[in-house]
Amino acid sequence: MSNRVDEKIFEEAFDWININNKIALVTVIKTWGSSPRQVGSKMIVNEKGDFSGSISGGCVESAVVGECIDLLKKDKPSKKLDFKVSNQTAWDIGLACGGEISVYLEQIKK
Amino acid sequence: MNIEILKSIIDNKKKNSDFAIITNLMTGDISIFKKELPLNKNLENYSSEINDFFNNKKTGIIENSELFIETFRRPTKVIVVGAVHITQYLIDYIKNLNFEINIIDPRGYFASKKRFPEVNVINKWPDEAFKEIDTNESTALIALTHDPKIDDPALQYALKKKFFYIGALGSKRTHENRCERLKKAGFSDEQINLIHGPIGIKIGGKSAPEIALSIVSQLVLISNNR
Repeated sequence: MSNRVDEKIFEEAFDWININNKIALVTVIKTWGSSPRQVGSKMIVNEKGDFSGSISGGCVESAVVGECIDLLKKDKPSKKLDFKVSNQTAWDIGLACGGEISVYLEQIKK
Repeated sequence: MNIEILKSIIDNKKKNSDFAIITNLMTGDISIFKKELPLNKNLENYSSEINDFFNNKKTGIIENSELFIETFRRPTKVIVVGAVHITQYLIDYIKNLNFEINIIDPRGYFASKKRFPEVNVINKWPDEAFKEIDTNESTALIALTHDPKIDDPALQYALKKKFFYIGALGSKRTHENRCERLKKAGFSDEQINLIHGPIGIKIGGKSAPEIALSIVSQLVLISNNR
């Protein structure tokens, strides 16, 4: 799957860092089954939980935002997260499409 | 990721380079990969896999490794002949997609920087204008003047250079006449049939923004099916 430079998330990330000092960048690194967003899709999150971009079209965003706030508060550099249907948490979160995705969270500081 | 890497990614996008971001998901190390740069020492063992991902414009995790590679493709070059009303809407739609626009129009009152502040506008006849633009089989042409004096030379150039997408505005009748002229100019039916005319997919619209949408849809469709 090829990635395209049409989305402006990196530029937006840069602007956000200048305002928030640090943000979390989330990237979809693997998908199984039917997941709405392709590998490479991105989202940025700040400490307040504001976010931009998308990684699943609404299914796991809220859980990932929570994880990002945690990452930023604890000042961790990165984290990998898997959302699978068999996983109870993921079920509660509701990956309604029935797919599974892995995402990578990383902190970017000023 | 640190802010220097982020800046470098944005910079590479701006310069329309082909590049990849390689992230070690275990250590968090990130590097930018470009064909002309030496490979980071820590990645040498995966040199062939990395090149395979890069050459095939793939994004994903390299098998049996912790390396995530994200390949960025430079935007597709699109040449629009005619700085007309439809072109203004076309640019509006296209700015969110992976295309780079160049406009050719010899008529100064159309091809003004004021009407098209954000794109490369070449105020010359197509034959002259094409000397200023690098084109190849990955270039697209959208001819919108429906004036044979301006459109025809551009269409002929695009056919000779084998552009992957060639579209020309005009009714069925206009297009039939155009095909006749190209035939007389020595182009084969096979070549002439490569032109999408009347341009665009059928969405039942008549207004300038609707025609622009129908053209952009066709361009995206053809680009994705290449």
